[in-house]
Amino acid sequence: MLDLNGITKTFGGIHAVEDVTMSVASGEVRGLIGPNGAGKTTLVNLISGLLAHSAGNLSLDGEPLDRLRAHQRAALGVARTFQNLRVFPSLSVAQNIDVARYSGRGSAMVDAAIAEFGLSDKLNQSAGSLAYGQLRRLEIVRALALNPRVLMLDEPAAGMNEQETDALGRSLSWVRSHSDCAILVIDHDLKFIMSLCDRITVLNMGTVIAEGAPKDITKNQEVIDAYLGEADERAA
Amino acid sequence: MILNPSQKRGLVGAAILAAVLIAIGLIVTYFGSRYQLRLVYSAFVNLLVVLAMQVFMGNARLTNLSHSAFMGIGAYVAAICVTPVTVKAISLPDAPWGLNTFSLDPVSSAVLAIVITAVLALIIGLFVVRLTGSGVTIFSLAVLVIVHSVFLYRTDIFKGNQAFFGIPQVFSLTSIVVLSVIVVFLVRLFRESRWGIQLRACADDEVGAAAMGVNIRRLRLIAWVLSAVLLAVAGIAYAFFLGTISARPFYFNHVFLTLAMLILGGMRTVTGAVLGTLLISFGLECVRWLETGPVLLGVDLPEVLGLSGIALGVVIVLTMALRPGGIMGDYEIEDFLLKGQE
Ligand SMILES: Nc1ncnc2c1ncn2[C@@H]1O[C@H](COP(=O)(O)OP(=O)(O)OP(=O)(O)O)[C@@H](O)[C@H]1O
Ligand SMILES: [Mg+2]
Repeated sequence: MLDLNGITKTFGGIHAVEDVTMSVASGEVRGLIGPNGAGKTTLVNLISGLLAHSAGNLSLDGEPLDRLRAHQRAALGVARTFQNLRVFPSLSVAQNIDVARYSGRGSAMVDAAIAEFGLSDKLNQSAGSLAYGQLRRLEIVRALALNPRVLMLDEPAAGMNEQETDALGRSLSWVRSHSDCAILVIDHDLKFIMSLCDRITVLNMGTVIAEGAPKDITKNQEVIDAYLGEADERAA
Repeated sequence: MILNPSQKRGLVGAAILAAVLIAIGLIVTYFGSRYQLRLVYSAFVNLLVVLAMQVFMGNARLTNLSHSAFMGIGAYVAAICVTPVTVKAISLPDAPWGLNTFSLDPVSSAVLAIVITAVLALIIGLFVVRLTGSGVTIFSLAVLVIVHSVFLYRTDIFKGNQAFFGIPQVFSLTSIVVLSVIVVFLVRLFRESRWGIQLRACADDEVGAAAMGVNIRRLRLIAWVLSAVLLAVAGIAYAFFLGTISARPFYFNHVFLTLAMLILGGMRTVTGAVLGTLLISFGLECVRWLETGPVLLGVDLPEVLGLSGIALGVVIVLTMALRPGGIMGDYEIEDFLLKGQE
């Protein structure tokens, strides 16, 4: 489905992403974790085409994406949300969703998704007037309106309390049962990631240090040293 | 053609604005003096210009200062085509390319003027859409100066600052009211169309829009060309009524005047464009009257020349300082009537 092969990105001297090779299958939910600055957001930017990779290649269903610009990739079904929200505040909630719907491949599930993510009674409100949690959900529904083949969520649970995170997890399970897109989720909330994902890829300093089922990842010594240990300290 | 919900709502707003314009047209037709009729006619021409500006500046939220130049191109092309050969033999004796050997009917002249303006806008637009922010402003300013210089120095075609005379009077106040009503609907439907919504999304967040599949350059080019076409229409309406044109009305003073109208009313909405034009057109008449030093409430006021220029500058400065979104901000007129309804 989504295949990355030797993807590399350097900013000046910094290797933000280095030689990342991975594939995400359709219908799979893949977690992407790693410490701050590991290169997770940069990887999403490279896949969505907002940044150009310095080396390597990437493809969707065997179709190369490398030469396509961001809007062309989106039209093919590469959808994403942003760690630092990027809704369109001067448009209504419905128009925010329409922006994606107009350029996407047409999706029958958008109206159901609007209801599932609790935005039905907000459609005519200006997006600028929404609360933070609603903005995060709007970004997900907007991405779904592209009828994605790949859906990338950059820290969808950031800033949410436990209840909101649980609700989000249920909504994402709903997405998964209604769409066969590949889902790539980044988050620092490991409980959330572990319960949601089929497989997890761990990034550290731009490189993949581990990949596997959630239970194997928690036992991996290198991951514990690089990230989980740190996460435990944070939790403590 | 199926309208989306925003467009259906937009029809209500456009209808209200159209009613106001028609009312003004009727009042002036039945009660106005000849002088007032000419005054209101030029206010309607400026309304067409400001509506055209709204298409690009309001939706893409980029500043274009070359609008008066495109209006001038439309006006001159139509004038050159429609003016009778007998008149052109006197006014343009040295015209190149046989420009003084033919003359067309008003409709063909208008169509040709629109097509030529659109093609020029398309070529210039291909450069404009590669620029962002202040780049667009500076580039468009250069376009204004270049076009004006051509008007001024190719006197064999445009007669420069001298009057290009003998254009048949094709339009009446009724024609321009009808035209304005059509353009109000068109501009409003564009704002609420798929293109308009995606353009505004780009203005809010370029990166977010690109990630949602929006081809920013293509949309900006569409808005730029549509804007230029409407500017050509304004220029044609101007030439077809006044009978004479010259280079001066398509330069800085006019750019500044129409910019003040758009900024005061609020460039983001069509209601703002109409409101700003009406307010400034009316306000300027009052100011001009003050300039002549009238007797007001028994006080003999002194004559103040240049007051209108100062007034326009003050309007821009105060609007930018106190209400940068203009009077209307993000509100269209029907928002006050249909609160929250779909
Ligand atoms: N546009 C940029 N220019 C220069 N350096 C950048 C740019 N974007 C990211 N970086 C650098 O690349 C590295 C990876 O950053 P990235 O944002 O991808 O990390 P992350 O894994 O998403 O971290 P976080 O968990 O904090 O979101 C960091 O060192 C960052 O400073
Ligand atoms: Mg990040």
